Amino acid sequence: MNLLEIQNLKVHFPVQQRLFGGAKEFVRAVDDVSFSIAPGETVGLVGESGCGKSTLGRAVIKLVEPTAGRIVFEGEDIAGLSGAELRARRHRFQMIFQDPIGSLDPRFIVADIIGEALDIHGLAADAAARSQRIDTLLKAVGLDPSHAQRYPHEFSGGQRQRIGIARALAVEPKLIVCDEPVSALDVSVQAQIVNLLQDLQRERGIAYLFVAHDLAVVKHISHRILVMYLGRIVEAGEARSLCRAPKHPYTQALLSAVPVVNPDAKRQRIVLTGDVPSPIHPPGGCPFHPRCPVAVARCKTEVPPLRELEPGRQAACHLAG
Amino acid sequence: MALLEIKNLQLEFGSGPGAARAVDGLSLRLEAGKTLCLVGESGSGKSVTALSIAKLVACPPARYVGGEILLEGRDVLKMSARELRAIRGGVVSYVFQEPGASLNPVFRIGAQIKESLKLHRPDAATDAEVIRLLKLVGIPAPESRLRNYPHEMSGGMQQRVMIAMALASQPKLLVADEPTTALDVTIQAQIIELLGDLRRQLGMAVLLITHNLGIVGDLADDVAVMYAGQIVEHGPAREVLNRPLHPYTQALIQSVPELSTEVQRLTAIPGTVPLPGAFPSGCRFHPRCPKAQPACATQAPELLAAEVGRNVRCPYSKSEIRNPKSEFAS
Repeated sequence: MNLLEIQNLKVHFPVQQRLFGGAKEFVRAVDDVSFSIAPGETVGLVGESGCGKSTLGRAVIKLVEPTAGRIVFEGEDIAGLSGAELRARRHRFQMIFQDPIGSLDPRFIVADIIGEALDIHGLAADAAARSQRIDTLLKAVGLDPSHAQRYPHEFSGGQRQRIGIARALAVEPKLIVCDEPVSALDVSVQAQIVNLLQDLQRERGIAYLFVAHDLAVVKHISHRILVMYLGRIVEAGEARSLCRAPKHPYTQALLSAVPVVNPDAKRQRIVLTGDVPSPIHPPGGCPFHPRCPVAVARCKTEVPPLRELEPGRQAACHLAG
Repeated sequence: MALLEIKNLQLEFGSGPGAARAVDGLSLRLEAGKTLCLVGESGSGKSVTALSIAKLVACPPARYVGGEILLEGRDVLKMSARELRAIRGGVVSYVFQEPGASLNPVFRIGAQIKESLKLHRPDAATDAEVIRLLKLVGIPAPESRLRNYPHEMSGGMQQRVMIAMALASQPKLLVADEPTTALDVTIQAQIIELLGDLRRQLGMAVLLITHNLGIVGDLADDVAVMYAGQIVEHGPAREVLNRPLHPYTQALIQSVPELSTEVQRLTAIPGTVPLPGAFPSGCRFHPRCPKAQPACATQAPELLAAEVGRNVRCPYSKSEIRNPKSEFAS
């Protein structure tokens, strides 16, 4: 059984209306998205800023209220749950944020940042058990137990991200949504955090939804990758084969734009013209057609469905195949 | 004569024993029309070095302890306020990381570009010239864009406006400080192509500051790698990327995953980036270096010529490793 099944998920945000304003408008941040995550699997979610990847990541664990659709977590639909019912299940899915400074309370010492999660879910019987648990967690993420008495500002960016990971681990979740967990870090520190996440997955069998814009990092850490454009998944597949032979023109362009260190690597860069269109008024037909280098007349009128091209590979393009 | 020559630059923040030396003995040369990439992580001193070229670092808190910055043969650090005004824009222009923060939100972009023209080329301060510049940086329908405010444009378009503004004064040197870091990869690719085209068309020199080794190979003739306020490796971009000699450059290249290669596990650099004021003794990279010898903790290595055209700050760099990534791809 899959750990998580997302079915036809939609997240629409209402746009501020004009005073005598016409029809109510919506930003379709996530528009009819379906996918699943198996236990212990890493699913990468990539796309440009504004494509809805962060909103999708948050909606999956109900940090953003979905407009429609089902979120089936371990066989139970949590889309409609709220309040105490939802809180009782929150220890099974956690989140790691991009900004390790903004996501840690500056007035809490590390022991309380991690301990708060234990307190809320009643996971520590007494003070001794609590502090022992905190020590174990700090060791698990590569920090020293003596760091428990320090404040977040005393740490470097990479160490702060480790604290954020320890906090997420504290409640022993089955799924962690990682929203750009390494993009705020120095290049030389990114690899440490990526390795740590992989080690923790191997030891504890945690599944990750890894949201990031850096395709090379996503490919390295993910088993499968979902590519998002304007609120929709345009391609999905096994990470290596998707990067080796992308089927959707958007994935092809995205991959070709990734900078390559090796100066001798021969490559054909597909430079997309223009920017991501407004998600309030997405283009008709295929949402990618105005920027697509191979678009044909049909793309302007007909929305391509996400269809299976080969086992394990789906793409939403009329021309792919 | 080189367009830009920095000799033994030393820059401190604060004073007395608590002073943090952010740049320590940095020397660089950039010939007219060439592109040099300055690569480093946060706190390596790359941005203050770039800002120093037009003396844009506020003094105090900063203090130039020694060295000189020769721009067309004249020392920027000794210039009067009037002379500095003439070179800022006139000889060297800047493009910064956050275009949204660099543009004035209450003026139309046409007016902001014209302001730069009025200062440096008063005769050319016309709408026609602004439109020509906007076209040059690849903004579609420039006539209608003139009257846009910055918030009406996307990040990539704003960065193009910044570049147009920097080019308005026809500088000989364009300093681009992390120009694509805030942008998406597809937009980053557009801006990198644009910078390459402009450099060829206009023949100006470019100093590109970045932490992303991937964009070095696309643009740079030469590359200088900075760590903790010093240059640790300097040489032709191709050679440095293909065959890095300094352990830091090697580790940096290996720690970045690449699309074209498969590795089970990334080679991480242990520890954290040291901050100015707390640089380690001896070789500043020694606490994180996989090849460190006992002597590295005490003896500060010099930047020495290792091969023709290549300088390395490591006495043990002879035990070189070929970049494993270049073998995969070739």
